[in-house]
Amino acid sequence: MKKALVLIGLLALAGAASAQTFVWPQKWTVAKPQEAKRGGTLRAAVISDFRTFNPFITAEATNVPDLLSGGRGLVTRDPTTGDWIPYMAESFTVSPNKLEITFKIRRGMKWSDGRPITADDWITTWRIHTDKAVGSNSYDTFFLDGKPIVLRKIDDYTIRFIYPKTDAEAFNVAIFAPWPAHIFGPVYQREGAEGIKKMWPLSEDPAKIVSGGPWLIESYRPGERLVLKRNPAFGEWNKDEAGNPLPYLDRYEIKIVKDTNAQLAEFLAGNIDLMAPATVDHISQIRQAIQQGRLDATIKVNASPVASSQFMVFNWNKASDPFKQSLFRSDKFRRAMSHLVNRQAVIDIVYGGLGTPMYTSVYPVLTQWVNPKVPKYEYDPKQAAKLLAELGFTKKDKEGYLVDSKGRRLEFNLATNAGNNQREQIAKLIVDEAKKVGVKVNFQAIDFNTLVGQLLSSGPDRPFDAIIIGLTGGGLDWPFGANVVPCKGNLHMWNKSGQCLDPRETQLDALYSRGRAELDFKKRVEIGYRMQEIEASLLPVIYIAGPNYHPAWNNRLGGEHPDAIISSIWGQRELELTFIKK
Amino acid sequence: MTAYILRRILYLIPTFFGATFLAFLIIQMAPGDYLTQLELDPKITPETIARLRSQFGLDRPIYEQYLLWMNNLFHLNLGYSFAYQAPVLDVIWPRVVNSMVIVIPSTILLYLVAIPIGVYGAVRQYSLGDRILSFLAYVGLSVPSFFLALIAIYVLLQIKFRTGVLIFPVSGMTSSGFEQMPPLKQWLDIAWHAVVPILVATANDIAGLSRLMRGQMLEVLGQDYIRTARAKGLAERVVLYKHAFRNAVIPFVATLGGLLPSLISGAGFVEVVMAWPGITPFFLDAIANQDLYVIAGFLTVSLVLLMIGNLVSDLLLAWVDPRIRYE
Repeated sequence: MKKALVLIGLLALAGAASAQTFVWPQKWTVAKPQEAKRGGTLRAAVISDFRTFNPFITAEATNVPDLLSGGRGLVTRDPTTGDWIPYMAESFTVSPNKLEITFKIRRGMKWSDGRPITADDWITTWRIHTDKAVGSNSYDTFFLDGKPIVLRKIDDYTIRFIYPKTDAEAFNVAIFAPWPAHIFGPVYQREGAEGIKKMWPLSEDPAKIVSGGPWLIESYRPGERLVLKRNPAFGEWNKDEAGNPLPYLDRYEIKIVKDTNAQLAEFLAGNIDLMAPATVDHISQIRQAIQQGRLDATIKVNASPVASSQFMVFNWNKASDPFKQSLFRSDKFRRAMSHLVNRQAVIDIVYGGLGTPMYTSVYPVLTQWVNPKVPKYEYDPKQAAKLLAELGFTKKDKEGYLVDSKGRRLEFNLATNAGNNQREQIAKLIVDEAKKVGVKVNFQAIDFNTLVGQLLSSGPDRPFDAIIIGLTGGGLDWPFGANVVPCKGNLHMWNKSGQCLDPRETQLDALYSRGRAELDFKKRVEIGYRMQEIEASLLPVIYIAGPNYHPAWNNRLGGEHPDAIISSIWGQRELELTFIKK
Repeated sequence: MTAYILRRILYLIPTFFGATFLAFLIIQMAPGDYLTQLELDPKITPETIARLRSQFGLDRPIYEQYLLWMNNLFHLNLGYSFAYQAPVLDVIWPRVVNSMVIVIPSTILLYLVAIPIGVYGAVRQYSLGDRILSFLAYVGLSVPSFFLALIAIYVLLQIKFRTGVLIFPVSGMTSSGFEQMPPLKQWLDIAWHAVVPILVATANDIAGLSRLMRGQMLEVLGQDYIRTARAKGLAERVVLYKHAFRNAVIPFVATLGGLLPSLISGAGFVEVVMAWPGITPFFLDAIANQDLYVIAGFLTVSLVLLMIGNLVSDLLLAWVDPRIRYE
């Protein structure tokens, strides 16, 4: 009897111990655990300075709180499959009606100050993020169509997320990083949002910043360098397959280098280890340095397309100019314009041959989602001319531009944001191609804020003809934009009259909601395929092409991703599994 | 004299209000505001943006925003940075100090080098030395400082590729591991990083200042009293340095006032190209983001320093030039 009890006790202990650790899978890195060395410093550079250590008011793309926490939460994604796996949670269960997800929080996780990480930390973090007065950038992620997603503590190690409706992106909410309730909670209770906003400014003593992720702040010099050091508490529950605590590195040093040429110089001089060159010139300089043996580094050219879109959008709301309005609302016109976009020339000239053409709103890097069978209206000036002739533009005026039977010239204005050389080049290519078939395009580069103002204006008469712009932010679970596809969406840029004008818009709107609520991945992909077919026939915007992602690293680093998962989505490596070879 | 100073200070008051309002107005006239950049983010709803806009006070009329800001100024509060969510002074001051590491040595170096070159050019006009220096001056004037910085980086890299030694760092103000160094080594490390930026920042200005000095000196040397001094049989050295030089530098005293605001306004694009954590890259960021109070606050500090500087240089002028009297 006693023996049996001991055995049960041992089993329970073993269970607790195994629940404590998250084992980082071998397949996420090319290196075997025995190859990995401990210690050393990884050196990287960012383009803009950090603005705060405070997780609730941070708004920069690369920000300190995300670096500290490692950007993971209750769940994370397995880069090899794209699936959600429990991370800070030990397991999760989805309720039969799919409206509740209950997470069992991993036991034994500790903050860097030694306090345990429990459900209270998630609850407090969620409360502060959703306080309007705090102004957190994550605010909107906790709402679904304006209705709140509610978090409920069941016990110290169980937490439940309650959704107002079924959502394909439900797990996306659960990746938010918790912050210590014992630090933020008392201040929030005492001083409310104002107290929270004043916490953890850049001038805060780094020793007072508490982290639950892989890193702690060692030092920060404004405009210069952020130095992170390994958080030993993290290594207690994050291990590699051989049981070694992670991260391997002692330090992660991030230089602030505002100029990409200077970043390149630092990379070439061997002073920084990571680089993602964006221009052909930078890529060739790195390749040359490697070939001539001046730099021991690796570059993966064309690893994947980038996760963003680039397109030309026509304004359907031009009450003051019925001629242009009917033109821009015409399928044939937009299809003709797509035939005038020489995507190959854009890739060759603008991206130096290192780019990818785009045909639908799904970024080409999301390969699981791209419908390969959608009709593509490729560069074909003859076909464009034919379509325009069908619209009544058969004659040319003295200057060689097409006119219709009433003598109205085929002409429109095209704008993009000034200073974006690549977009300006794309616009010029379109102007040239259009001129060849007799369409007059007046290109103008205007200030970004003015452009955004025009693009997002609403009503029956909006102040632009056509704009070249891009978007980012599409996800792996459901790559369509929540405020792009629905007709009332703020980024429904072609038509902001507030209602659907074309039956296919209505159809897309309905499919968007259906897909977002569909939890079966295969069925969701089918809906996505259908949406792309409709997009291709409607051409609400004309997709052009985008650059590719070309990661590079100094060969003193080991532990990068296997080639198959190096992409603009997963990056080149997990920092936790990165080590210094020499 | 006291009456003059008081009068000058009185004049400064309307200037201050006029200049700050104009600055405020011009910043606000630029299309969009700090939150416009969020509008194309598909993850943020328009309601959230509208809420933030009202929290930042950006939805109020411009005169109201200006008056609120003025009220803060009188309480010695320059305002609040949207981007950093912190008081403006707290975020700009460390950057200004970093910039001074380049600006102060470069200013001293500038005067030490440019004035002798100018004097030499005037005394040995059209000599071979003057021609070479003039040529270099024109090159210096016409090459923008950011380009000079890029050339410097290129040269440093080429040397590194040939010899494997990086004589001077290509960017930044401190080496990694700076925090662990003893204080003396920290000083040396900063100095080592500052050499190239200081030289680049100085190179451009030497050209302008030395040409100015040369012109002034030539003009004075053509004056009657110089001929008189020579006729009296004074040594050429005395003529040059006691009579000519002293008169030729008077206009430079008037420019000393301009040095005061330039102390805080940074070393320009050298800082951007060489990743020096000074005020220039920071200020450019603020402009790009339309971080209203950072721009306005910084301009106000520069404005106040400029006004004080002008006053000081006028007083200095009266002190060095017996012909000028303020009554």
